[in-house]
Order: sequence, then C-alpha cells, then structure tokens
Amino acid sequence: MTLTKTRVPVGSALHNEVVEWLYTEAELLDDGHEAQWHQEMVSRDIVYRVPLRQTVERARGKGFAEGTYHLDETYGSLGSRVLRNQTPYAWAEDPPSRIRHFVTNVRVAEADEDAVAVRSNLLIMRTRQEQTQPQIFAGERQDLLRREEGVLRLFRRTVLLDLTVIGTHNLAMFF
Amino acid sequence: MTTTNPQHESSAAGWTADEVLHKLDDGLPQGEIPAALFGNADVYDRELRSVFGRCWVFLGHESEIQAKGDYVLRRIGEDNFVVVRDEDGGINVLFDACRHRGVQVCRSDSGNTSHFRCPYHGWTYNTKGNLVGAPLWRNAFGGMSKEGNGLSPAAQVASYHGLIFATLDATAPSLEEYLGGMTWYLDLVFGLNSDGIEVLGPPQRFVIDANWKSGADNFSGDDYHLGTLHRSVWEIGAFPVPFRENMLGYHVQASPGHSLSFSMAPTEDEPGPKFFGYPEDLAATFDTSRISEHQLNVARRSRVFVGNVFPNFSILALPMTEDGSSHPPTGILTIRTWQPKGPGQVEVWNWFCAYKNMSPEQKERTYRAGLGTFSMGGSFEMDDTEPWITVSRTGRSVAAEVLDFSLNYQMGMPGVGIAKQVDDWPGPGIAYWTRYEEGVQRNLFSFYSRMMQAAPGQWPDLRFPE
Ligand code: FES
Ligand SMILES: [Fe+2]
Repeated sequence: MTLTKTRVPVGSALHNEVVEWLYTEAELLDDGHEAQWHQEMVSRDIVYRVPLRQTVERARGKGFAEGTYHLDETYGSLGSRVLRNQTPYAWAEDPPSRIRHFVTNVRVAEADEDAVAVRSNLLIMRTRQEQTQPQIFAGERQDLLRREEGVLRLFRRTVLLDLTVIGTHNLAMFF
Repeated sequence: MTTTNPQHESSAAGWTADEVLHKLDDGLPQGEIPAALFGNADVYDRELRSVFGRCWVFLGHESEIQAKGDYVLRRIGEDNFVVVRDEDGGINVLFDACRHRGVQVCRSDSGNTSHFRCPYHGWTYNTKGNLVGAPLWRNAFGGMSKEGNGLSPAAQVASYHGLIFATLDATAPSLEEYLGGMTWYLDLVFGLNSDGIEVLGPPQRFVIDANWKSGADNFSGDDYHLGTLHRSVWEIGAFPVPFRENMLGYHVQASPGHSLSFSMAPTEDEPGPKFFGYPEDLAATFDTSRISEHQLNVARRSRVFVGNVFPNFSILALPMTEDGSSHPPTGILTIRTWQPKGPGQVEVWNWFCAYKNMSPEQKERTYRAGLGTFSMGGSFEMDDTEPWITVSRTGRSVAAEVLDFSLNYQMGMPGVGIAKQVDDWPGPGIAYWTRYEEGVQRNLFSFYSRMMQAAPGQWPDLRFPE
C-alpha cells in the first residue's frame, strides 16, 4: 500500500473521521491512557517504526538508514512497553512527563484494502520534573489506518523525525 | 589589610581540577570519590586534554567502512575526525579541519567519496588526507608545496577485532599494550568464532544531561543497580536470570582503567543461558580457533558480559527480549561510546552487533531484541539515564563542594560485603567473586586520576604491580 493515492478534501466525511481518530489518539496518549490506546486503536498486525536518520549529502536523500530504527515495534512489544509502565518500577516515566501531541497538516488518501493513508505533522512537547525547557520532537507521521470490524485501527506507523541526534534522554513515550 | 584564607578563597571560586583530583586520590583508598568529579567544569576541561587528548579512543567498526572511499564522521573528545578507507584499503583518521582556515571539510555523518572539498575556498584532499588541489592553484599557490598541507591525521590508528581506535598522542603505547589484559576479554566476545562480528547499521545517537563518566562507571560493572532500577524488566519477562542469581559471577580489573563484569553460572551444567544467550546453532560455531580453551569456557558459562575500555568505550552482551510473550530472550551485543559534550552532557552512540555468520533471521532477532531493550527507547536502558542526570546535578552543586560531599564506592572492600578476591581465575587482571563489588569502578577512577595528572609524554603504568 502506498501514500500516492488521491487525497480526499479537507472537510470531507473521511477526512473528518481521520482527524477525529487522530485527536482521540492524541488525547489518550496525552492523558496517559496508553493501555486503552493499545487495546482499542492499534491493529494486532501493527508495524510501528521510528527509523534512524543521519546527516548525509543531498544526493544521498533524506538520510534514513534502511532497516535501522530508534523504535521498531509490534503489537506485542508495544504491549510490553505499556505493561512496563504499569509496574511501579518504570522510573523513566514515573513521575510521568507532561506530554502533549500536536497533530497538524493532516492529509488523507484512500488506500487499498479498506485502508486510509494519512500523513500528518507531529510536534511533541515533553517536560519532566521541574524542567521549564521542554524536550521537543518534530517530524512527520506516515500512518495507515485500516477498518477492522467497522473501526479504524492503526496498522502501519512510520515516524520520520527531524533529528539525527535525539535530544532527549530516552524514548519512554509513544509517538 | 585582612589576610585571606586561601581555602575559603578557592571554595568561593569553585574547586580547581587539581583540588578535585587530590580529593579523589585521598578518598579512593577508603572507597570515596568526590561528587564534584561528575560536574566540575575545570575537571572537564582537563579531561578533554589529558584523557581524550591522549588515550586510545574508539571510533567505529571496520564493517562500517568496507568499501574504498567509505567514511564516517566520529569524535575524539569534542573534536570531529573523518574515519575513511582510502583507495589502498588503509584506514585513515583525519582531523576534520581544513589546513587553510580550519573549516569543516566533511559535513555528512557517513558516505562514500574520493575526496573531501572544503566549502570555503575549495582546497581538496584525498582519502589519505593529502592536499591534492585548490582552485587556480598556479596563481594562488604556485610555488607552495602541497606536502605538509594535508588534513592532520591522528597520531596513531589501530584496530582490534575490527574495532577502530585512534590516539592523538604520539607517545602513547601501542593499542595492544594500552588494552593490556582487556584483550583477553575482548577476544572472548569478539573472537568467539572465526567469522567475528559486524555492526548492524549506523549507531543510534542521543543526548543526556549527564556526565560521560556515569556511563563508564556503570558499564565497568554496576550490577547492583539492576534489582532496583531495572526491576521492571523482570516483571515483563525481558531477562531470564533472577536478580539474586545474576549477582553471582566475577568482577575483573582487566588492567589499569579497564574493568568488566560477568554474570556466570557456577558450573557448566547449570541450566539457563550459556554464551550470553546466543542460540544453540550459533553457539555450535564458537570454537578455539582464535581463543583459548579457558576463554571459550568462560564465555560458555557467561550469561552477561559488561565492560568498559578506558575512557569511554563500553560493551554489553546478554540475553534479552523485547517481547517476552512472543520471543524467548536471545543474545544481544551492543557497543557504545560515551561522547563528552560538556561537564553536564553526554552523547551516547549505540551500535548493535552480530556475528557475521548469523543467519538473517538470527540477525533480525538479535537486532529487535537489542533495540527493544538496550537502546534509548528500550525497556532496559530507558531507566538508566534518569539517575545519571541527577548524579551530574549533584556533581556541579555548590552544596557538594561546601559540604565536601563524597560518594560511597566501598562495596567489596575488606570487611564490606561478601565479595572476595579469587586466585584461580584463568584470565588476566584482578578478579573478585561475586559481583557485590565496586573495585571495578575504583580501578576506573584510579587510572583516571593518574592519567589526569600524568605529565606530557609520561604514561601511567599499564600493568598492575606484581
Ligand atoms: S578554509 Fe578551507 S579552503 Fe580556505
Ligand atoms: Fe542499567
């Protein structure tokens, strides 16, 4: 499945449905309801990736190194992360960060097999403990949402970060 | 005139590096280390010169630059160096600074090229670092020799098991001499079979507001923190050896500065992971073609290997899984550097490695298991960075100076805990059984202190006194 299908217009029924879905997802993640997100919004076949990026010459493209990642998750490994955060020993997010997902520039296209291809810009602001300076991630999400028994679930997610060196001490949150 | 109290004066201005180092020397025999070591700016400036400006520093693995012209941009201390394979297959480590005005000539993290051209006026260097041209050469520089105007190479470059190191100090002993007893231990991880290892892609890089020595300290053999900081990994089934059992094994001061730790089964027949958890069909290829029977036996009984080559190169091999419900733990091998980036910042470079003869499936499995556990997004490692940030906060605090605050590194000293030095250990260095022991870190810091105070051209002893 590709992202090259014709875009549906902003404000169309499908676009609205996708935006609703993305807002709901952001709300669950920002409010710390990861388990509910995992359970209700994520496909059991998910491939969820944050590829590794390098600074390279223009002729060599955008610098994403093939087959290498910061995160390369399945439904099970995402579940492990959710489970881990529920233990009283997940120090990386306990006390929890304040995390806010800003989702914009949502572009929706119909794809094959009951799926919708979505590109969106993502900005995550994360503050920890008494920090006033946030940790910031900006990037693009390339998602495929698939209709499974009537509901849209996240089937593929690739997060293309604008950073080569990640300016944060861990990736204990979800993109 | 009032007389000034020199002691008061110096504390108002903050401790100098010398003062911190004297406190380190005074405290170490009692297992005490001044907290200021992890945040003092004067100490940090001295480290860039006396440690990173002199020691052998890890830069990358040969498998990253296989073809002629392949290069990666790496760091010694805070300075960039191009690590490049030239047209004759040799490896050069070149200071990334144009001879003309000092401009950066390599602006990518990696690539393949026949030359590096400076963007300022166009001086061009080949992959050996020689100046090969400049625009309008005859008018501009006709008569000047190109020789002696090349990129500055590191003073010495050498590899061990494909691991590329360089030093800026022409008086440094050879790499093998510098590694000393550590070679025995590097052999038993990297030389387990005749194929050796390769890296699985470029390194992850991320920045922590912590001091680089926290990484070196931790990987020298801080096993005790696993039970608390990493308790979650047992709850989710990511690691197969219970905490208490995992504390069994050896701490080894391989040679001055270099330390390591083994979690090891008491006997060969013990159930549970062998060979760091690598799958049996791979372990069947582990042999004595490049290592001794003793080394093979140590590796066979080992569940975890963790070590640090002074100053900032660390290695970790152990059984892990990113998803205990679908995959049992498997052996992973990560190598990393703790790149200094100021007294309160470190950039971690993290590579995953595999034995070259692993099947694609085994490589995929070890990569996923490593990524899901010992990486910035991994269940094991993501907790490590939290305490290190506060170690460096304590290290730069006024309170730590005013209160003369020192850190406790006494575990395993005579009368403290159960660890005992052993005399039947087959490898080089000073070995202790069990891992309730902090001599490995005291070894790190005592060599560190000698390196920091060594006069130019002089090198501290690279062997323990007999
Ligand atoms: S500074 Fe490089 S050519 Fe002038
Ligand atoms: Fe740890």
